[in-house]
Amino acid sequence: MATLRLHSLPAAREEIPTPPSSVSNPRVLLSPSFHCNKKRVSRRMAVTAMGGGGGAKYKGTQMREKQLTEMIEKKVTEAKQVCEGDETSDECKVAWDEVEEVSQAKADLRLRLEVEKKDPLESFCQENPETEECKVFED
Amino acid sequence: MEVSTVYTTQALNSTCSISTPAKTHLGSHQKQVVFYRRTTKSGSGGGSCVITCSAGDSQTVVIGLAADSGCGKSTFMRRLTSVFGGAAEPPKGGNPDSNTLISDMTTVICLDDYHSLDRTGRKEKGVTALDPRANDFDLMYEQVKALKSGVAVDKPIYNHVTGLLDPPELIKPPKILVIEGLHPMFDDRVRDLLDFSIYLDISNEVKFAWKIQRDMAERGHSLESIKASIEARKPDFDAYIDPQKQYADAVIEVLPTQLIPDDNEGKVLRVRLIMKEGVEHFSPVYLFDEGSTISWIPCGRKLTCSYPGIKFSYGPDTYFGNEVSILEMDGQFDRLDELIYVESHLSNISTKFYGEVTQQMLKHADFPGSNNGTGLFQTIVGLKIRDLYEQLTSSKTAAPLEATKA
Repeated sequence: MATLRLHSLPAAREEIPTPPSSVSNPRVLLSPSFHCNKKRVSRRMAVTAMGGGGGAKYKGTQMREKQLTEMIEKKVTEAKQVCEGDETSDECKVAWDEVEEVSQAKADLRLRLEVEKKDPLESFCQENPETEECKVFED
Repeated sequence: MEVSTVYTTQALNSTCSISTPAKTHLGSHQKQVVFYRRTTKSGSGGGSCVITCSAGDSQTVVIGLAADSGCGKSTFMRRLTSVFGGAAEPPKGGNPDSNTLISDMTTVICLDDYHSLDRTGRKEKGVTALDPRANDFDLMYEQVKALKSGVAVDKPIYNHVTGLLDPPELIKPPKILVIEGLHPMFDDRVRDLLDFSIYLDISNEVKFAWKIQRDMAERGHSLESIKASIEARKPDFDAYIDPQKQYADAVIEVLPTQLIPDDNEGKVLRVRLIMKEGVEHFSPVYLFDEGSTISWIPCGRKLTCSYPGIKFSYGPDTYFGNEVSILEMDGQFDRLDELIYVESHLSNISTKFYGEVTQQMLKHADFPGSNNGTGLFQTIVGLKIRDLYEQLTSSKTAAPLEATKA
């Protein structure tokens, strides 16, 4: 999963052709994804080794991550149980819909933390640093 | 009531007529301009006159995006807001579980916020989030209409973590409002408010492959559970979500590649950009010769591609009874020069400078789809929306000037 997300155009050391008219921001053409291919690979591996949990800065976010992980597990079990009787029942549909909802919520949180590298509690914690949720964790 | 434009009054004569605001055929509000005249001579009948702009509603452009991939955080939204400049962020200082994204020009609203039933409520009633019965379309319509006409709203927040409806957040009318979710085009009143609509149509095989990539690392999930979840949601999806694609101005259809026989990994993709003809302010992208049928493999003498290469096609077609043009890309970009080469051969892409599509793609090289048609077409649609926005706002600023001359 992390492999696809961090997939980048791996053109390492080729000469980048210049367009006829000047591009307004030449720095963008020399973005790290072209020159730092190796660096990106090792970063990718580091993320998977940590189980994708890197990036949560505040306790509140760590707790939320944990909560979502547990919810996914719980709801998958529930859905399997509910659907044993009748796979086409409304209860079964709703149970799997809940699984989808929490799976997506977890994925969104991961995306925010790993790709955007922003903790969702950032602006809240700037205003309220003394709350329990805003305790900072060392990476 | 916000005042957004100021005109000088020298051109007006001393009498002004008061017109009662009439509703336009769209039923939307009209902005009123209040003039105050300084009376330099006595008896020239000072005071204020109210002149109604005949141009109609304000300058908020509304875009609808139908997608089954969560809200406001999807790659498409990021690419779109990036085209307009600036990064989209959740509202500062508000509910950290807000689904809303705000940048300088755009505000992205997640339609899940209009759930009338929270998770417990849906369980009780036995309806999924896909079911219209779980959503308050009246409120959705009221609020989108208000934002479109320049009025701020207190929008509910659906918290995806707790499954509850949280206290509302204030949303101020932006220049561009994007409503993203499962049902942007379901209700016909909401549909009529949209200036442009997009449907992201992921085929079943690709959906399965993407959800595997998304969920396999999670404890509790397995291939079976992922498959079961898709299957269980499919009836409601087919009944309520899928039919919206006939209304979309642009459909991005994502299918497995045809370049690799029996490929089921879903890594190489065939993406089709289906563009409705005759949509105001939207000119479909084309290859080489508009309205003709083209099949193009850019790899050859001038461009070397690695396996499986790139294949484009373009041509007119009909889609649910509408005239459309379809631009299709199968394969993936391996190198920067492939992307530039392809960009230089596309027409009507609404770029402001040569290489803008490539630059946008590079800016987000780590987003999913950056090396294939999904990233390419999402970026191009973003540029078309910018073009549409500029056309709409310039036509609206022209109209009030004419009203003052009359």
